[in-house]
Amino acid sequence: MRSAAWLVLVLVVLALAPLALPPFFLQLLTEIAIVGLFATAFNLLMGFGGMVSFGHAAYFALGAYTAALLVKRLGVPLLLALPAAPIVAAAGALLFGFFIVRLSHTYFAMLSLAFAQIVFTVIFKWKTLTGGDDGLLDVWPPTLLKSPAAYYYFTLAIVGVCIWALHAIVASPFGYALKAVRENPRRARYIGIDVRRHQLAAFVISGAFSGVAGGLFAFYNGSVFPDFAYFTKSFEPLVVALLGGVQSFFGPLAGAFGFKLLEWAISRQWPVYWPLFLGAVVVVVIVLLPSGFVGLVGGRLWRTRSAKA
Amino acid sequence: MAHAISQGLVLQTKGLRKHFGGVQAVNGVDLAVPPGDLRAIIGPNGAGKTTLFNLISGDIAHDTGHIYFAGEEVSGVPPHRLYRRGMGRTFQITSIFKQLTALENVQTAFLSYHRRHFNLWTPGRRLYRDDALALLERVGLREQAAKPSTILAHGDKRRLELAIALASAPRLLLLDEPTAGMAPRERHEIMALVARIAGDTGLTVVFTEHDMDVVFAVARRITVLHQGAVLAEGAPAEVRANGDVQRVYLGSTH
Repeated sequence: MRSAAWLVLVLVVLALAPLALPPFFLQLLTEIAIVGLFATAFNLLMGFGGMVSFGHAAYFALGAYTAALLVKRLGVPLLLALPAAPIVAAAGALLFGFFIVRLSHTYFAMLSLAFAQIVFTVIFKWKTLTGGDDGLLDVWPPTLLKSPAAYYYFTLAIVGVCIWALHAIVASPFGYALKAVRENPRRARYIGIDVRRHQLAAFVISGAFSGVAGGLFAFYNGSVFPDFAYFTKSFEPLVVALLGGVQSFFGPLAGAFGFKLLEWAISRQWPVYWPLFLGAVVVVVIVLLPSGFVGLVGGRLWRTRSAKA
Repeated sequence: MAHAISQGLVLQTKGLRKHFGGVQAVNGVDLAVPPGDLRAIIGPNGAGKTTLFNLISGDIAHDTGHIYFAGEEVSGVPPHRLYRRGMGRTFQITSIFKQLTALENVQTAFLSYHRRHFNLWTPGRRLYRDDALALLERVGLREQAAKPSTILAHGDKRRLELAIALASAPRLLLLDEPTAGMAPRERHEIMALVARIAGDTGLTVVFTEHDMDVVFAVARRITVLHQGAVLAEGAPAEVRANGDVQRVYLGSTH
């Protein structure tokens, strides 16, 4: 009941935002939605599957480059290029994930990072296809979606559908089994769950939604660059999810909001000090607010670990 | 096949061996468990009880020998497949899904058993709710259903693990010290519950146990392990009267 009211309120505010906000802030909100989707997809693994990936930029970049290459090199329209982003990202996640889920904890994280660095290197070196270090420029959406308000609505609709789908997945039998794998892999085997297969399925789903975020970002940014796959990009969803709260489904969305607003507020005054400030914020949140920004709001509304029965 | 299998047995092992470094943990165990048996496996610490359980349930691979479950060789079959063939187990150290509620623990077991665990859309909270509540009622946890399982009392966690294992209506249930850490009265209660469920459903149970009062109260047959091998086997009265058993085991605790 209360959560439905909150949802309606948030949607109304977001829908009316273009009437009140200048283009710059619409662009900021668009970016927040994209980063929020990326972090929520990442958190399907971290929060619900107990798997920490240090290489999720790989799937973001695969999505971004897929969309950009289809538009730039083959002249495919955006509405066909964008759905290809999650397909290629999912294929990459299936290929890499097959090896990654065989390991756990630190080794899982390091192998995911290694695969992402391979993706980065391939993009960086394959100049004839990807443009290498120069990236691909002029990847703009069609005229109809070019204004900040239009692309804002477009992004909001797609991110909304993706978030709704991820929310359904978390609450589904698949999500129950995923939490069981997180809590106790050995016990999970003895209720008939093939642990690696389940982890791989979650990895592919997470990769696919990261690919959607990458595709959306390509057109938002108007260009794509190799550093979309670089390890610094891989840490973005990790930091955002930690700030917002990994134990809550909506934590990463809240984290994206806080992260991007802080980044904007600090960078425009003291651009050099943003990383220092971010570091300090991360330390404070981890030590004092282990359940993230959503921990401030409190209430069982946000809890995911012990659902109502 | 090296050995003939005896038909009609739920569980059979032949010449089962496993060593860890220089320690021969299980040293040629032959076990034959008929349907409906309530079999206790006893022996001093280090006799190889838990290793034997882990071999049978596919948790670790044996060195040599054979394991037959319901007449089929199951060497190398992974745990999640054994489970689907009807083998359930609990662990010596309570093994549940701590952050989930008691109800969710059992629901997840039902979801998986009915192969719904790759369903991405249906809200899981509504599925098998009644079955899970009925099973919780059966093990005496109906009132605790909504609690996160991590806050349950120790004995209730053991009951919850039993419920998780029972969700698949197994043919064979392996209980590794189901009463570990419980008060004496509670031990008798939970084993009486297991015996009642086994009697009602025709379930075959193999369990290990340190409390001899409990063992002699519920077991139909007893297998005594000593240094990784079977020292004696028989009905409770025969085992109690066995001189070897008294010397190496019962004598030291009674």
